[in-house]
Amino acid sequence: MQLLLSRAGLVLNPGQVADLVLAWRQVAGLIASLPHDRPLADDMALVFRLPPPAPAVARPATGTPARKPASPKAKASAKSVPARKKVVAPKRATPKTAAPKAAGKRKAAAKPAARKSARRGR
Amino acid sequence: MTGLSTPFPTIAEAGQMIAAKRLSPVELVKDLLARITEIDPRLNAFLQVTERQALAAARAAERAVMAGKRSPLLGIPLGYKDIYETAGIRTTAHSRILADNVPKQDAETIRRLHAAGAVMMGKLATHEFAIGGPSFDLPWPPARNPWDPRRFTGGSSSGSGAAVAACLVLGALGSDTGGSIRLPAAYCGIAGLKPTPGLVSRRGVIPLAPSLDTAGPMAWTAQDCAILLDALAGYDPADPASVPGPTVSYAAAIAPPLRGLRVGLLRRFHEHDVPASPEMLQMVNRAAATLRGLGCKVEDATLPPVQDYNAVGRVIISAEAYALHEATLKTRLSDYSRVFRVRVLAGALVRAADYIAAQRRRTDLIALTSRAFEKFDVLLTVPTAGTAPLLTEQRPDDGFARPLLTTVANVAAVPSLVVCGGFTPAGLPLGLEIMGPAWGDATVLRVGHHFELAAGTRSRRPDL
Repeated sequence: MQLLLSRAGLVLNPGQVADLVLAWRQVAGLIASLPHDRPLADDMALVFRLPPPAPAVARPATGTPARKPASPKAKASAKSVPARKKVVAPKRATPKTAAPKAAGKRKAAAKPAARKSARRGR
Repeated sequence: MTGLSTPFPTIAEAGQMIAAKRLSPVELVKDLLARITEIDPRLNAFLQVTERQALAAARAAERAVMAGKRSPLLGIPLGYKDIYETAGIRTTAHSRILADNVPKQDAETIRRLHAAGAVMMGKLATHEFAIGGPSFDLPWPPARNPWDPRRFTGGSSSGSGAAVAACLVLGALGSDTGGSIRLPAAYCGIAGLKPTPGLVSRRGVIPLAPSLDTAGPMAWTAQDCAILLDALAGYDPADPASVPGPTVSYAAAIAPPLRGLRVGLLRRFHEHDVPASPEMLQMVNRAAATLRGLGCKVEDATLPPVQDYNAVGRVIISAEAYALHEATLKTRLSDYSRVFRVRVLAGALVRAADYIAAQRRRTDLIALTSRAFEKFDVLLTVPTAGTAPLLTEQRPDDGFARPLLTTVANVAAVPSLVVCGGFTPAGLPLGLEIMGPAWGDATVLRVGHHFELAAGTRSRRPDL
């Protein structure tokens, strides 16, 4: 438990650790009841979208580009940018051209902070 | 225009009286302010009474009425759970962490209500950040149940439930991540709607677990919830979950009779998964009979076990709530209540793989639930296994140790309404839960409205 807590960067007194153990036992039981052995193709299950409320209601103008099917032109332009090749999953090219770049930036920025908190935990 | 001729008007009744110039919004607000002064010290429903703003808004509403303006919410006094941001008015989430937080803008829902002419009476008690309660180690005490102040209101919209039941306000805003609108509605004997996710904006509502959070109305009747929903519902591009919902008038949509409606009774939920008390079982069976009497076709329905929904909901809430509070927990741990720490700190230990497993399972459960609605228009069960427990019986780990029937609708992303289904011989309210398919908000409100009229449960108020 102490190892997990230091990894999370938390400093708790003994009473707080006891409270955490009490709650964690319950959460661990709930986690154990979740199905973990799913086929790899189930990755799509992470995304859900409710059915449209009524056929007559138009969708908003914003936020739609990500739902358009990828055009061959978009795929070609994605491939032509060398920086993106490293982070885009090879099997599923999507028109979210900005997302991989941002994700890459986030990943790079997160590293020093993670190290810092790990040191603090020790 | 004069003051109240009836002590406990509903929003619908007060709205009609104001429109007919038989009730003065200013006199109504003054009556309720006096009632708050007299009764709230026993209930702790309010964290802050905004008397000056309430009177100013009531005067403005009165001028508008005299000028011929009409709106069902014009001059109607409401209260807001203290996680809704209010411009220039402290919004604490019932926590030391935000004790000095004064937002610059109103939440989108507040903006819509005020645009419709509603009057803010004040900010209402909640569980700390909508999860840590009831707590006695915070600057403000927990709300108490108007039917018996020794008892729990349910949470986390605890002040909203108490204030509406005690008629300190005519309606309130709550939020619901695992049952936080519907549990207080059940224990306090009022109506509370968790709408379809995306129907009501959450912009300016302090989040608990963003993938499950919903904002919604609480009031004495399902009809009043429908009137509030008419003002609240609508697309908000600033809430990423917001969707352009059906363009319907909920207040009008509840009128048609229920004849021919298909009602599924989730008997296994309340008889096996979370065994309900004999009083609750009698109430739900009576409710099914009442709906049959109204021309509904009632048959048994099945969904996956409550425990499946509950595991998904609790894991998601733990992980997301911890993620939101991580930075503050590391610097101001002792400023949170013990209940909050117990319920949220465990999220630090939830692995990413487990969180994703919960989200994946959620997708299965959404599909399985939506399949049930191919056969039924609404599903009927109970929101709690029994009546409001004593405040002293509450445990910090309650949210994990006992599965919540209400979490089913959060995980399944469907609308769910709780109405008062009846009372025990001791006079405590018994809640009835009505779930509908996604975007079936009007249907659940319609069933709740006709049930309330037929069962006659709305004539009884707490003796305060």
